[in-house]
Amino acid sequence: MTAGPFSSAPRPFSTVLVANRGEIAVRVLQAAREAGLGSVAVYSDADAGSLHVEVADEAVHISGETLADTYLNSEAIISAALSSGADAVHPGYGFLSERSDFASAVADAGLVWIGPPAEAISTMGDKISARIQMIESGVPVIPGEELTVPDGADHLGVLAACAARVGYPLLLKASAGGGGKGMRAVQEPKMLRTEYEAASREASTAFGDGTIYVESLLTGARHIEVQILADSHGNCIHLNERDCSLQRRHQKVIEEAPSPAVDPELRQAMGAAAVKAAESVGYEGAGTVEFLLSSRGEFYFLEMNTRLQVEHPVTEMTTGIDLVLKQFEIAAGLPLGIIQADVGLSGHAIEARVYAEDASRGFLPCVGRLATWKTPQGPGIRVDSGVRQGDAVTIDFDPMLAKLIVHAPTRRAALRRLDTALSDLIALGVTTNIGFLRDAAAHQAFTTGSVTTDFLDSSDISGFSHTEVEPAVLVAVACAAQRLGLERVPSDGGMGALDEHTGHPGDPFRTLTRSFP
Amino acid sequence: MEWSVGDVTRRYTASVLDSEGYLSLSSLNLDGLAINPPDISISRVNQHGRLRVEIAGALHLAHVAKLGDDWWIHLDGRIHVVRMHEPGSAEDESVEGGLSAPMPGTILEVLVKQGQRVREGQTLVVMEAMKMEHRIQAPQAGEITKLHYSVGDRVEMGATLVEIGD
Repeated sequence: MTAGPFSSAPRPFSTVLVANRGEIAVRVLQAAREAGLGSVAVYSDADAGSLHVEVADEAVHISGETLADTYLNSEAIISAALSSGADAVHPGYGFLSERSDFASAVADAGLVWIGPPAEAISTMGDKISARIQMIESGVPVIPGEELTVPDGADHLGVLAACAARVGYPLLLKASAGGGGKGMRAVQEPKMLRTEYEAASREASTAFGDGTIYVESLLTGARHIEVQILADSHGNCIHLNERDCSLQRRHQKVIEEAPSPAVDPELRQAMGAAAVKAAESVGYEGAGTVEFLLSSRGEFYFLEMNTRLQVEHPVTEMTTGIDLVLKQFEIAAGLPLGIIQADVGLSGHAIEARVYAEDASRGFLPCVGRLATWKTPQGPGIRVDSGVRQGDAVTIDFDPMLAKLIVHAPTRRAALRRLDTALSDLIALGVTTNIGFLRDAAAHQAFTTGSVTTDFLDSSDISGFSHTEVEPAVLVAVACAAQRLGLERVPSDGGMGALDEHTGHPGDPFRTLTRSFP
Repeated sequence: MEWSVGDVTRRYTASVLDSEGYLSLSSLNLDGLAINPPDISISRVNQHGRLRVEIAGALHLAHVAKLGDDWWIHLDGRIHVVRMHEPGSAEDESVEGGLSAPMPGTILEVLVKQGQRVREGQTLVVMEAMKMEHRIQAPQAGEITKLHYSVGDRVEMGATLVEIGD
């Protein structure tokens, strides 16, 4: 093998296994190739034909029915790395990314872990210890309590007493949760039992740990998070904030950088607090410190995500720093190579998460086959996609299909670019939230930069304005399409379809990079 | 052939006029009553689901794809579905008084028993798909007459889960 980019680094590695799937696996695998590293994917039965399998140099199949057998199976993933000759593991987000035992196991197997030290993951991953750590480090925290229940004790009784002390409305969080899973708002005491059971069940399903934490529910606040980078030489910097206030049931919908609510002075203060938080746990790698920003301008530590975030591209677009490449370099033991003063802030970036879900039916997840999937292109448009034309969308995984990210000189221009790009994103065959994303981004509350985290949950989204096409026009288009025989596409979707530019059976990547229209 | 847009109970029928590859509607009916056909002319761009659509003189580009009985249409940045129906087919195939799965998934909890009386809004079944939970609630008060699934079962979208009688 020829010398790779990190062959003479303190912790050399040459081939990265990505322990994930979907768009983030694609993102990291492509970054590895770009960096001159080898890449290995892992996949379950349901993902045998998925995009991330094809972008890797090599792919290892992990058999099993459930996530616990496959993407959450650390032993199988480590043996896949060893058998394929990979010498580093990148966990992506979700799945095993915030499991300190996995980080340790990777290192114990003699592989380079592309992530923070196991101790930092475990301190920050446990919301209770993270909170104690932050209080000791002087980072402000939200009023709340941990729930310690001895074995065999009355869980609900202990919880009710704890909830009464914290006060309603409150938020139940699975200590090991994230991404809105295992997190439930409780407005009044009589809902406590139902929400507690739902939260612990969701957390057990998604993370294999059911511990609960109770905290006061701040209303009218914004979700602001700060990206940090820390190396193994004691350098730690922040890459400004992202505003993720547009959320639905604690799931981020649209994220942006910079925040319309943060001025340079507040940015400096929050950035300094984030760096302090990271340094207090000896952090290394890319991480995110999440804060709630109250309407009075006070900020409170929410949690630290010890991994790459879904919304990392908005930071990349506005700072010009490739976060995945930085993760590789830091894992290899190289110094950051930049100082705080080098971090710029250029223009405005917005990310919209494209989900297979039906906004008109309570955001129910939708399944089907993507008969058409055409993504927009142009200056300042980036699409991080885990799917391609012809793919089946199933119930087996999270319904996020792709992320659409736009970058423009100003927020106003970025909003226009987002709306145009969403209009040009053509997903036929599976119901998606694309129309809802356009409506939400065009809502006055968002265009004026004034949404808080409770905005979507307290709004009647059916009232979001959009222009209706006359049904008669649609009937005419359907009649014409039927008459013209346009339904005669191959039943196996994209894989067997002829590419309209080349006339050859489709290269699945072509549909992702083809110019539009 | 009948067509519906969103509401499957409102059925359109139409006659297509083909003038050298430029298609328009010569007549349009909604629920048996004649309505004005739109001022529209549609022609093919290529064989891959792309159509030129001229509405009242203004040019638009549509992308279409057919899955099952549904025509998916992307027009002016919005995605729509138009469904084809056999003439006179049933409006809705769901069971009377039944509660069906809004999505495919797995049954997590069945909170009621056959013969039990329930109140409006009461949670009957909890199901899970894509790592999120959804609760199936009683649309009206009544008695549970039939439970079709138990915990751990995988269900298809539209499957009847529970039936409620008066």
